Amino acid sequence: MKAILGKTCLAVLTSAAIGVSASAQAAEDCPLPGNLRVVIGSTSTGGDTYQVSSMVVDQLAEQLDINAKVDAVGVMPGFQALERSRHGNTIMIFHDGSYLGHLYGVNGYPDIFSKFVVGPTIAINPGNAYLVPKSSPYQSMSDIIEAAGNGKQVKVAIQPGGVSEIGFTALKNAVRMQYPGKESNIVAVNTGSQADKNQLLFDGAVDVINGSVQANEQYTQLPADDQKAMRFVWITAREKTIAQTNEEGMGDTTREQLLQYVTPNASVPMSEDQDFTFDKEFFLLYNKDMDPAAIDCIDNALADVYEGDELQEQLKRSFFVPDYKPTQEAASYLEEKNDEYKTIISDLKG
Amino acid sequence: MESQWLSLLDVSIDFDQSHLFFPRIVTWILVILLAMIVITRYRLLVPGLKRAGRVLAGREGEFDHKRFFGTLALTTAYFYLMSVLSDVFPNTGYSFLIMSVVFVFLLSLLYVEHLTRRLFVILVLNALIAPALAWYVLAQLFRITLP
Amino acid sequence: MDILSHLTPMFFGLIAAGTLIGIIFGAIPGMTATMAVAVCLPLTYAFGLENGIALLLGLYVGGISGGMVPAVLINIPGTPSSITTTFDGYPMAKRGEGERALKIGIVASVFGGLFSAAVLFFFAPVLADFAIKFSYVEKFLIILLALTVIASLCSNMLMGVFSGVLGVWLSLIGTYSITEGGNGETRLMFDFMEYYLIDGFSLLPVLIGIFGLTTVLLDAEKGFKDETGQGPISLKGGAKFKFNVFKGQLLNLVRSSSIGTFVGILPGVGGSAASVLAYSQEKNFSRDSSQMGKGAPQGIVSSESSNNALTGGALVPLLSLGIPGDSTTAILIGAFTLQGIQVGPLFIGNNIDTWYLMIIALLAANVLMFGIMYFAIRHIAKVIEVPKYILYPLIIMMCVVGAYAINYGIMFDVWTLLIFGIFGWVAHKIGLETVPLIIGFILGKSAEVYFVKSIESYGNLSIFFTKSPIAMFLWVLIAISLAFAIYLRLRNRRQPTVES
Repeated sequence: MKAILGKTCLAVLTSAAIGVSASAQAAEDCPLPGNLRVVIGSTSTGGDTYQVSSMVVDQLAEQLDINAKVDAVGVMPGFQALERSRHGNTIMIFHDGSYLGHLYGVNGYPDIFSKFVVGPTIAINPGNAYLVPKSSPYQSMSDIIEAAGNGKQVKVAIQPGGVSEIGFTALKNAVRMQYPGKESNIVAVNTGSQADKNQLLFDGAVDVINGSVQANEQYTQLPADDQKAMRFVWITAREKTIAQTNEEGMGDTTREQLLQYVTPNASVPMSEDQDFTFDKEFFLLYNKDMDPAAIDCIDNALADVYEGDELQEQLKRSFFVPDYKPTQEAASYLEEKNDEYKTIISDLKG
Repeated sequence: MESQWLSLLDVSIDFDQSHLFFPRIVTWILVILLAMIVITRYRLLVPGLKRAGRVLAGREGEFDHKRFFGTLALTTAYFYLMSVLSDVFPNTGYSFLIMSVVFVFLLSLLYVEHLTRRLFVILVLNALIAPALAWYVLAQLFRITLP
Repeated sequence: MDILSHLTPMFFGLIAAGTLIGIIFGAIPGMTATMAVAVCLPLTYAFGLENGIALLLGLYVGGISGGMVPAVLINIPGTPSSITTTFDGYPMAKRGEGERALKIGIVASVFGGLFSAAVLFFFAPVLADFAIKFSYVEKFLIILLALTVIASLCSNMLMGVFSGVLGVWLSLIGTYSITEGGNGETRLMFDFMEYYLIDGFSLLPVLIGIFGLTTVLLDAEKGFKDETGQGPISLKGGAKFKFNVFKGQLLNLVRSSSIGTFVGILPGVGGSAASVLAYSQEKNFSRDSSQMGKGAPQGIVSSESSNNALTGGALVPLLSLGIPGDSTTAILIGAFTLQGIQVGPLFIGNNIDTWYLMIIALLAANVLMFGIMYFAIRHIAKVIEVPKYILYPLIIMMCVVGAYAINYGIMFDVWTLLIFGIFGWVAHKIGLETVPLIIGFILGKSAEVYFVKSIESYGNLSIFFTKSPIAMFLWVLIAISLAFAIYLRLRNRRQPTVES
């Protein structure tokens, strides 16, 4: 009995091993596995990270002629899976939240620049926005900064420790620069999902919420007497980023209209002569021991994919801005970005 | 007057410590309830523990040690070896497939009372076909990530 | 009319396929409706929006309905929302009435599904405006109300309440999650556990551990002595299913469906709370609830009608606010975003054709679910005749798949399954009650967030009473619910009945 079992086992194992090596050779010079697992730093399959990842990964897999699957495991399990995968079987896609979490000192966030290899950027979600109720007295970001400077408390609903907080930090910093000592009038109301943020606005418990063009645009189209009606006051993306979106913009809001909420029209100063901007960029992360040849392989494949129009158009249709930078360029670019925000965050603490 | 009474209910939570606020309340309720249980039932407690010890040691009651601990041991080994083997065959589900075949067969064997030749063949077939089918449908068709 | 051009054989074929696959996913312990929808989500891209949605809605309805099958036949809830189906379904199956119990469940399910689809169609925008009246405070009170059902569901008050609180306590292990608005710090654990427990224990592995693996362990301990190749329970004997069992159940059907729909509408209140609330309200308010928990059809009716009513309810905030009402609709939203369709308050107005098609798909899915299950049930029910030495290893195997796949491939979830399987066995031995424990576990995290956030926002405990008329009304419901539970307990004590 044991013998039969042993033989069966052996047979299965051998055939499995042959299967693996056969598929691994599918892409000739690439030391990539035939089955690539792409973990993302979000547990939501309805969110932007999953959306971008599945578009890019589908095209990448086709280009490399391998199987690839996006798994929405979330931040910590994602980092853990990446750390364990020395042979490049697992890679990760995440956004600026990965290093912002570390800058804000959130429990469990490692320094991605030393712990992993930061890979190519793939796209920008230009939609990070701040909104007020349609009936709000605040017409612009300058109004809000001024009100805080004049001693009025402004409550802002954010999700702490990441992309949602960085705009809030910039706003606080802007108040500090113009009205030193008054920055404590900008108050964070820490909350979770977009639903909770919206709810706080409906309740009148906050004055401003962090949101996104995608999730909140329809609320801005509601008549002013609707309790749910909102108005954009600020989109944190760079002007040139928004300029790359499709002309139709999002929903009933055209690109032209969106540009009104972007610097220089909506200004949150970061220094004397510069406005704060934040583009939410998605990029790949690799294990520290990942074979450089494999990294090159993915770089080349992505470059080819971005040459064509298919992925670019697909991304743009869903209000993303294609933004491919190869590994080297992306890593130094993101590190600079990291340092820039590090300054603002530590300025506020000090 | 009323507002004085109301201010007794004032609570402020420091955000940095807010992760402990609710767990502390729940822990206290839990401790109080546990104390109530111990007080109301302490007479049942000591004999109960003694009896449990005897049953586990096999001196009393109907307790099938072989099957109970066999299930635990096999399940633990199944999970452990599956996670080890999944590093050998990453992202393919082969680890799940191989270990499940072994596990399903051994556990069936453990549970069967009277083993006949015919039953043995049924168990082998079941252990080969069921995991293979599950693996094929889930990992290949539906592309679910398996160990 | 543009809609008619979408009503192709393909459209209905996908609904049928979705419903069937959903039923199978729901019926396998460890696999859930949420998983079925998640797995098929990438397929929708190829099908286009209308057909993709048709498939997913079929999966959703089928998955929720399929959960009753293992709940009735082997006492393991196939999905979290069918926990309450086990209370009366399994005792009926033990009497040889498995088929009857399932048929009662199917009819109740289709009623609940159609009821909520009608509510969705006629009242979605109104209800969404009502739902946003529920802030942190009111949501906390809804959860508190759901927690009070522990008092009416447990067999010993002290142990039941203790188990419920223990469930809440266990759910808090891990981080106070940033995505819920917490500060990301861990609690209730030692530092060395942080690597594994940073996200805490997930619900599904805990559930299938306590219900699935524990069942196997309890039977293993007894040694399968009565196994003779025949299953433990026969399908013969016992009463046959007749439609007149629904006589006098209309109130129960409508009440349970309304509760299910309403819980679905409120985002952030766990979907599994629906059937628990509906079951306990039936227990409190029906004329005769003495047989509930011992195999009473009314228990299955309330449980199954409410969990299917959740489907239409959870679509209300999704389609009129852009906010998912439960974990499955949270994945459904991906189907829209992948196609570049915005969901928000203008969705229905801007996509009127899609809206009508969704309603048609939802109705069709319910009807097809009824058709498939009602006539296949005779064969499905034979599962209980499969000998346990074949069935149990396969159940454990499928539980592993479910636990591993629910969070897209995390090995610790498989270990959670084992930990809670053993825990469930120990709990059984020392008299802890697993159902209150699971209810506490399901609701614990949201209870924390809404409680802490309410206090953070208002800084005074009195807000829980004075926030709004809705809050006061909820307190009245909580008081009634508790009073009834205590009253029933005292009444039962006076007329002693044999507890199993």
